[in-house]
Amino acid sequence: MKLHLSSNKLVLIILYILIFLFSTIALSDAVIDDKVKKITSNLRCMTCQNQTIYDSDADFSKNIKQIVRQKIIDNQSEKEIINFLVTRYGEYIVFKPQFNRRNIFLWIFPFLIFALSFVFFIFRLKKNTT
Amino acid sequence: MISLIGFIGLILSFVCNVIVIGLYYFKINQRFNQIFYLVLYCSLFFICLSFFALMFAYISSDFSNFNVFQNSHSSKPLLYKITGTWGNHEGSMLLWLLIMSLYNVFFSFNTTLKEPMQKLTIVFQSFLYLCFSLFVILTSNPFLVNSIDINEGLGLNPILQDPALAIHPPILYTGYVGFSLILSLALAGLILNKLDNLWIHALKRWAMFCWLMLTGGIALGSYWAYYELGWGGWWFWDPVENISLMPWIAGLALVHSLMITQQEQLLKRWIVFLSILCFSLSILGTFLVRSGILTSVHSFATDSSRGIFILILFLVITGFSFILFILKSPQSNKQLNLLFINKTSALVINNIVMLIACITVLLGTIYPIIVEVLTNQRISVGAPYYNSTVLPILLPGFLIMSIAPVLSWQSNKLVKVKNYIYILIVTSILAVLITYLTKFNIWGFIGTILGLWIIAASLLSIVHNYLKYKLKKFFIYNNALIAHIGVGIMIMGITFSSIFQIQNNFTIQTNETINSGQYSLQLNNLQITEKNNFQELLGIFLLYKKNELLTTIKSGKRYYYVSKMITTEAGIYHDWFQDFYLVLGDEKNNKWSITIYHNPLVSFIWIGVIIMIFSGMVGILKK
Amino acid sequence: MDWSYYNDLFGNGWNIEKMKKLFLFTPLILVIMITVFCLVFLLQGKDPSKPPSALLYKNLPEFNMIGLFDDSDVISNKDLNGNIMLINFFASWCAPCKAEHPLFFEIKKNYPNILLIGINYKDKQEEAINYLNTMGNPYDYVGVDNKGIIGLELGVFGLPETFIVNSKGIIMYKHLGPLTKKIITNEVTPFIQ
Repeated sequence: MKLHLSSNKLVLIILYILIFLFSTIALSDAVIDDKVKKITSNLRCMTCQNQTIYDSDADFSKNIKQIVRQKIIDNQSEKEIINFLVTRYGEYIVFKPQFNRRNIFLWIFPFLIFALSFVFFIFRLKKNTT
Repeated sequence: MISLIGFIGLILSFVCNVIVIGLYYFKINQRFNQIFYLVLYCSLFFICLSFFALMFAYISSDFSNFNVFQNSHSSKPLLYKITGTWGNHEGSMLLWLLIMSLYNVFFSFNTTLKEPMQKLTIVFQSFLYLCFSLFVILTSNPFLVNSIDINEGLGLNPILQDPALAIHPPILYTGYVGFSLILSLALAGLILNKLDNLWIHALKRWAMFCWLMLTGGIALGSYWAYYELGWGGWWFWDPVENISLMPWIAGLALVHSLMITQQEQLLKRWIVFLSILCFSLSILGTFLVRSGILTSVHSFATDSSRGIFILILFLVITGFSFILFILKSPQSNKQLNLLFINKTSALVINNIVMLIACITVLLGTIYPIIVEVLTNQRISVGAPYYNSTVLPILLPGFLIMSIAPVLSWQSNKLVKVKNYIYILIVTSILAVLITYLTKFNIWGFIGTILGLWIIAASLLSIVHNYLKYKLKKFFIYNNALIAHIGVGIMIMGITFSSIFQIQNNFTIQTNETINSGQYSLQLNNLQITEKNNFQELLGIFLLYKKNELLTTIKSGKRYYYVSKMITTEAGIYHDWFQDFYLVLGDEKNNKWSITIYHNPLVSFIWIGVIIMIFSGMVGILKK
Repeated sequence: MDWSYYNDLFGNGWNIEKMKKLFLFTPLILVIMITVFCLVFLLQGKDPSKPPSALLYKNLPEFNMIGLFDDSDVISNKDLNGNIMLINFFASWCAPCKAEHPLFFEIKKNYPNILLIGINYKDKQEEAINYLNTMGNPYDYVGVDNKGIIGLELGVFGLPETFIVNSKGIIMYKHLGPLTKKIITNEVTPFIQ
């Protein structure tokens, strides 16, 4: 079958392609902003009193926001960006404690005692009914 | 002169408390009783004298007083001069002492407890007073005097010049410091080995009162953070917030545990433990925040010598209390009647969940200190940690809360179970619908279904009660249910305002209108006003809904002359079901950048807390 | 599952008693532990506003920088290897930097073998040159980092910051904020001797 494109259809196709391109560009901007927000909300402003980089207007925060933004545009993953900053500023700059050997106790302990008390509670219940 | 009066008052109140303790142990003469109480009232008189002397120094801008010099300025509005009395480290510790003394005296008016329990509690409270007044006198004296004449003060942080924040410390401390009386009661009970119904009754009323005031204080602090700190957030898991949360959680467990013993078996050992825990957490919290060991938004003037003093106080007071607990805590031979699921089990689950949540918050707050001591590296433990741990742990508690008030103590039968199951199905469907129509998010769904379920189940229970009792003793039967409805409403508010918050950034110039859905926002004009101690640039915005004017929102910046600080003032329009939160940014080429937050159901948070506090107050009064 | 076996284990005898004893002592033990940790932290004089450097005992990151006085002069860390280095980040707009500036002359005088390197951070060339002309120039080399790229590699976030690198190129010490005579005597000199 021969592909016969009338001028109308051609215009429509070009229009669709343009719309698609524009929407991806426009979408990207919002998506980038979202990603910057997500990552910088987890980062500490080193010159402030306990504020996130996202919330802070300090020079340091503005600087880091730019750096993070550039890295997102360069398609780096969140993990890579965080690692980049942690290598230079230490784990102090991240609000979510990382999952390493040092912090394992921190993450496991609450769930451990939760599980233990749950088990203990069930046993006491069983004991009561026998 | 006024500083001298204040200092003398401080010293004399110290002396009076020493005499009170001495009188108890040496029982000087026949009229021992009268003298005991007289000296106690004198100690309150003297600390009042001291406190109001400091306040007078602030009001009259007496800059010969070093504390006033450091923290005040003649151009400050009168209200903030008054509240500036406790807006600094030394003044707030003086408030701490005042509140401790007030509790002691008001407790002495109590007639339910017999001797010697009443007096021994007062003696312990006096002992605690001595510890803290020693701290004030030796390290945090607000009555230091300048050696040279000074005409003007250094001013107060403009962020603190705010009505909600002004009243926040007194209310917070009424709860936070009030736990000292709970500790005194517990210690007196342990020593005299008399944890009887009278003791439980007294403990119950005072604990509920302290805990309610603490709830109010924390809520005020959150509300202030919401409108002042400019990002629409109200809880940041900042160390100072955690420090107020821990005693609150312990207090909640205590208040609920006290219900068990009134009705059923004895968990006295557990209650004594919680009573000691509350104030221990208060002291530890005070140490963590005032020693400068943690970075926080809410930092006081820090000094490691003060820190070490409070740490020693913590060790001595808490260590002594827990040693006493080990030696003299009551043995209980009865076993708890735990069934799945009766009221006792529900309360045990509540206690377990709350205690684990409390320990987790403590662990997270202290962990950076432990890591730095052991490895010389610093880490941060922030909101992501607490949200991932504390919230899931609290879930069983919230689930149980919905039906707990109507469970039976003895049996595991729930009256009219079928109705509850129907309600559960309905609320589940509703929650799924809401989640589907808005934005799918697992936490959004969980929060919605929990909140709805708690409210619906509690309402159902109230309906059952109404059918049975009509309106007779409405508040006695339904108080807990109403309180839980408040919690459900609060959970809805928290879920919706955090998960479904929408943020939009725009640039706008004068007379321009931005449209978004049914709403439109117009920047009417910008005005600059000069006040006593600051200059303000305000953007006046008009908010329209479907082309009808809803309200005016003002947002801007303030420049405070003395401290040279610039603060951003957010403009908020409170609606029952949402808040419009407007923050004016910077200007470029005549265009202003603004951020608009749309926070659904924020008011539910404050409404829920108010309901909780109201029903708690009813709970105290109904006896 | 045989519940009766577990019932016996948890239900009677020494197990319950020992567990109860454990629970009784736990709060006291925790109180003591918390006190000890906090006491050690305070006594070590740690400053909450000054986190320890993430780069301690790691290699000095690679960098190239242009000399402040001479655009064509490019200094890289390879050129500097083999010497003990004291690297100081400063700027003309930084007030505390002015306070610590005179001390570098003394360091240079007392320890002539170390390399004193100044990095001009986020500043304007003219103003930096003026600054050094007015206050004097104690540095052996002064490099330019006007975008803060080198600072970023070293985790700089607030001026002034001073690093000490040993002859093997490993960062041994970092100080946040201005140096004082006391800090130099107590903390810096052990590394540069």
